[in-house]
Amino acid sequence: MNPNSRSRCVFVCAAFIGLFSIFSFRLIYLQVIKHDEYAGLAAKKNVHQQKIYAERGMILDANNEVLAHNIPMETVVADATHLNNSNATVDLLSSELRIPSGQLAEKLNGGRRYIIIKRDVPAHTANALQEKLRAGNLRGIYFEHDATRIYPNGSMLCHVIGFTDFDHRGIQGVEASMEEYLHGQDGYRFIEHNRAGQEIVPYRGQERAPRDGYQVHLTVDLGLQNIVENEIDAAMQQYSPQKATIILMRPQTGEILAMANRPHFDLNLRSEAKPDQMKNRAIIDMMEPGSTFKIVAAASALNERKMRPDSSIFCENGLWNFGGAALHDHRAFGYLTVRDILIKSSNIGAAKLALSVGEQKFYEYIRRFGFGERTGIELPGEINGLIRPPQSWSKISITRIPMGHEIGVTPLQMTVAMATIANGGKLIMPRIVKSVTAADGKTISSLSPMVLRQVISPEIAREIGDALRGVVSDAGTAAAAAVPGFTIAGKTGTAQKVDPRGGYEQGKYVVSFAGYLPADHPEFVGLVVLDDAHTSKPELNYGGLVAGPIFARLAEKAARYLDLEPHEEIRKAIPVERVEKKLPAERIHKPASAERIALTNASHH
Amino acid sequence: MTAFLALAGLSYVYLTLQLYHLGERKKAAENELISLRTQNDRAKAQIAAFTSRPALQRRLKEGFLKMIPISEANIVRLTISPRSPDEDTIQPVVNPSAAR
Repeated sequence: MNPNSRSRCVFVCAAFIGLFSIFSFRLIYLQVIKHDEYAGLAAKKNVHQQKIYAERGMILDANNEVLAHNIPMETVVADATHLNNSNATVDLLSSELRIPSGQLAEKLNGGRRYIIIKRDVPAHTANALQEKLRAGNLRGIYFEHDATRIYPNGSMLCHVIGFTDFDHRGIQGVEASMEEYLHGQDGYRFIEHNRAGQEIVPYRGQERAPRDGYQVHLTVDLGLQNIVENEIDAAMQQYSPQKATIILMRPQTGEILAMANRPHFDLNLRSEAKPDQMKNRAIIDMMEPGSTFKIVAAASALNERKMRPDSSIFCENGLWNFGGAALHDHRAFGYLTVRDILIKSSNIGAAKLALSVGEQKFYEYIRRFGFGERTGIELPGEINGLIRPPQSWSKISITRIPMGHEIGVTPLQMTVAMATIANGGKLIMPRIVKSVTAADGKTISSLSPMVLRQVISPEIAREIGDALRGVVSDAGTAAAAAVPGFTIAGKTGTAQKVDPRGGYEQGKYVVSFAGYLPADHPEFVGLVVLDDAHTSKPELNYGGLVAGPIFARLAEKAARYLDLEPHEEIRKAIPVERVEKKLPAERIHKPASAERIALTNASHH
Repeated sequence: MTAFLALAGLSYVYLTLQLYHLGERKKAAENELISLRTQNDRAKAQIAAFTSRPALQRRLKEGFLKMIPISEANIVRLTISPRSPDEDTIQPVVNPSAAR
């Protein structure tokens, strides 16, 4: 080999060595130094995170009857990068899922990798679609197992149960307040697809199993709820009120046994419901309670030892001028004992009871009974009510508040106040959630009764209770609320409706009855409220004549349901007709307008 | 050496195929499980719908069910005698074998 040839050979070899060295370095750079970056990019293209949905927990009543549960559905999703025949896919999906093809094409043309085509597709539709996709060799459409919320009882207990949105998040009622427990935790899995869009199982990556939501057990007994719903429907039919609320509560534990409001809506057709139908009026509506509030005035005067139950108070023969304004009673009363003030529902007597304790002390008792603050029930949207401090009271407020005017309370607050009397003066927190359990039955959380405070002494509570028994007697204002075989304690209320523009609405009343049964050992406290009831005669629109009989009917059925043993026939229930006949002749024949002028200034029995 | 390499190559292919088939079986079993759970959930939903109060009341109205109120005379109540307060107090016990 001549020197020229050798040098040429060395040059070529060096060039090869150099070239391969460059390739080698490039390879090392790509495979080692840039490994993570390019592996990530590759994974992004082939691997995706598959969500494994957790099942939302059920809502059950006190006897484990199902109130809300899930029904399996499919969610149809698309990966636009896997579509092999867009037009055919759009046509098929459009016809099977009844979605306008234009809208569908717009969705799929975005080139995104995760497009939700339709939620809540029934399994049989999804199966049929899957078969047709396979037959047409169409790729890029996937099915995710999902569920939709079903409420087997329709409109029953709708305001308490609430409902969820499209993402299965509770937005009203217990569904919202117990969201943390009901929702569970979704799981995930990293998967790889082949070119046909099928999962390559051996290449599965990290995985986390879902945790299903817990079951929430309510204190509500569906048997009692059914009784309440039937009675409230009957009341709506009979009196056509604008709104109505009925609550049943166990006084010793604060458990809400039933709660119904009208207007209402069907939980399965919630998209058709109007906002007005969705309000849980038991906790978000404010009303002037009327004479039911007199229990607070009497309790404060007795508990402060300013009066004894048999102390006599002069009731000014039905008309009292105080602070430059006249205060009326519905009848002219002379001297009445504290007990009789409650039985006969004297406004002047109640005002004098409040005056005996003074503004500041009376205000303290109002607050001690739980008015002006949320009760703490596990339902969203509860309001405080409206109780002004004594500094902003007018001169006559001390005479108007005892008869349930110039204040705003929720029906639940009024029920809790009555339960305080039934419960020996202990204010107890109302509860709607009994316990939270896992799917295997393990108890996660169990709520025990919570006594907030001793509002009045047990002796005073008993004295008030005795007086309230008199209310449901021939001498009282709610004879029609009596239940054969049981002793009942209760108080009626009739308040003129507050006009949102100021003042009161003429001829419109909120009538109520709050009571408990049996009076000696109360098993339940009930409240019936009807807003703007329409009676055959306007002068019959009183708590004792409208709400009282409703309470009597539902209390009788509830007592039967709870298997309370009736005593010897204590008394026969008095039909409403009989009570109507007993009304004084001058009230019946008085023109309605004249009757109502008096009512404008006064709360009534 | 060549035989070893050939055997290793064949084993690799065989095991990869096995892995693929096992994956397929795993997926099929998972689908079966999901399907059974779905059927179970659907059955539970149906039971809840059929036993719900509105459904039962509808059946009652249609005459498929009949309800007769139980008269007071036909109800037997067991009166449980009040417990003596002594029952709750701690009772001394004697272990005869230990006394011996």
